[in-house]
Amino acid sequence: MKKGAGRLTLDALFTAAALTIFVIELQIPSIGIPGVKLGLANIVTVTAAFLIGPWDAGAILLCRIVLGGVFSGQIMALWYSLAGGTLCWLIMLPLRRILTEKQIWVMSVLGAAAHNIGQILVALAVTRTAAILYYLPVLMVSGILAGLFTGIAAQFAVLRLRPVMKKHFLR
Amino acid sequence: MIKTKTWVLILGALLLTALLSCLILYTRPAPGTVANIYRDGVPVRSVDLSLVTEPWEFTLSDERGANVIRVEPGRIAVIDADCPDRICVEAGWLSDSASPIVCLPHRLVIRIEKNAAAEGDPVPDTVSR
Amino acid sequence: METVKRFYMYSLRGLLCVLPVLCLLLAGCAREGDVPDPAAPRTATVFAMDTVMDLTVYGGPESLLSDAEELIRTLEEAFSVTDPASEISELNRTGAGDVGDDTAEVLRTALGVCERTGGRLDITVYPVLRAWGFTAGDYRIPTDGELSSLVSRVDWRRVSLEGNHVTLGEGQMVDLGAVAKGYTGDRLLSLFREAGVTSALVNLGGNVQTLGTKPDGSLWRVAVADPLGSGYAGVLETADRAVITSGGYERYFEENGRIYRHILDPETGIPVDNGLISVTVAGERGVLCDGLSTALFVMGEEAAADFWRGSEDFDMILLTDDGRILVSEGLEETFTPAGTWAAAPVTVIRHD
Repeated sequence: MKKGAGRLTLDALFTAAALTIFVIELQIPSIGIPGVKLGLANIVTVTAAFLIGPWDAGAILLCRIVLGGVFSGQIMALWYSLAGGTLCWLIMLPLRRILTEKQIWVMSVLGAAAHNIGQILVALAVTRTAAILYYLPVLMVSGILAGLFTGIAAQFAVLRLRPVMKKHFLR
Repeated sequence: MIKTKTWVLILGALLLTALLSCLILYTRPAPGTVANIYRDGVPVRSVDLSLVTEPWEFTLSDERGANVIRVEPGRIAVIDADCPDRICVEAGWLSDSASPIVCLPHRLVIRIEKNAAAEGDPVPDTVSR
Repeated sequence: METVKRFYMYSLRGLLCVLPVLCLLLAGCAREGDVPDPAAPRTATVFAMDTVMDLTVYGGPESLLSDAEELIRTLEEAFSVTDPASEISELNRTGAGDVGDDTAEVLRTALGVCERTGGRLDITVYPVLRAWGFTAGDYRIPTDGELSSLVSRVDWRRVSLEGNHVTLGEGQMVDLGAVAKGYTGDRLLSLFREAGVTSALVNLGGNVQTLGTKPDGSLWRVAVADPLGSGYAGVLETADRAVITSGGYERYFEENGRIYRHILDPETGIPVDNGLISVTVAGERGVLCDGLSTALFVMGEEAAADFWRGSEDFDMILLTDDGRILVSEGLEETFTPAGTWAAAPVTVIRHD
């Protein structure tokens, strides 16, 4: 198999997984505070960042957000996710270099926190109401806790998948 | 490489800060007062009065004239205007959602609308006066 | 550099595949948008009849609120006493003439309230109101001689209405201010009803009128303004009712330490000062509630209670200057005093 095609296949696979998880999570009822959620699709992004590479992870994230926005039908939510996703990915870039395999969960925690900050920034720009900042602490707490959970899941996934990947795909 | 222990400490501190600010923010009386300013029925400006600590002023003007608006913690008023009746200035301070400040000549309305985070008594839908 | 290129390439390819689907779905959304979500309120603010009007409707066709605004403008043009081109201004100048259907209808209803309340509401009090400066804001106290000559001409019985033809008595002028907003509210709600709307709220410069309940089936919470402060005196839970308040606190002036409010006793031509500071009338017809709130305010506490006992078509809330609340039987359960009035003594007026 050609190297480029293999990589593209891998990205597509991860995108599909991320979308599936995202759509399933849509079924979980919201607890009432916008922005507070598990963010299970984050598992895929973090896993991809470590297994394939940060650029691929970014592409997967972008496709997941755009497609997810279309599937959920909430176009407004798309902008929030895009801002959150961009910030999340920007923080992943340097982290990818300094984190060891046992510290993958850290990337997820900081990524989730960055994601929530991005969302708040968009809300601030859209509503021009400083009161939005009132939600920041609760979003940070929920982001850190959810990020910890998805991060640990991602760490398991990376450790289990790495041998398989080495054998069948790249490197 | 940074030790895992260090990461735990950093993230723990972050979580603790967020938790503490949650406690401080949400145990205070809920911020309930956002003043929205409308011109010709269209929102032009919004001020969260519960976040105001220092009084400040601004002027809203268009071809019909100008209204000078003063904001203080928890309340808002039109303190000067060049409209003929100056009813908006006489209306004085507005601090609850009961009755808006209206400047008919300038088509300006200042209304206090409870924000989503407000708790307590359900707010009436409208006021008969 | 190569990784950057790869990133863009992958993203581009991904998005290219997605684009057709996206367009299709967005187009679908746009088509859905033509039918407004019945749960989402649409609002409009209209500056008319010297006040601010807030309209809130749930559902109904796209053009409904602009139709409503057009209706308000049409009625304003007919009723306004300040617009010299209005039908009423024309009538006041010439003393007789034909008026449109709306004006005739409002006049008929207003004269009905005048009769029913024994002239406590009198639409011909306008020249006296003008002498006090309440219409233009140039407040002054008229002399006794001026007052008595003006008051002698105040008598709603000398206004005759046959079909659409109105004739005023000698030197008379009429003002529909006491009923115009109530009538406008009635017309707005029937416009909404005919458009299939089952849930709407209008606040015409303080005159509240509700259509149905809120979309979730709960009652509208209509506050009654606190005549002494900036908050509210209580909250009335209601549906399908007009809730209309009269109080002298809206327009008044102070001279030599006395406060003169804009509601005049038609018999004396002097501002009412009988201990009532706010009268709220709740009923099905806005135009009736509007006229009655003024008349009951003029009557005072006891006469108002007697009048209510002789009627079937409305309920009321009275607030007095010594801090008491009087509520007619029908609102006993649904009116809750609030704010500084929460601890006020409440008397329920009952049928004997």
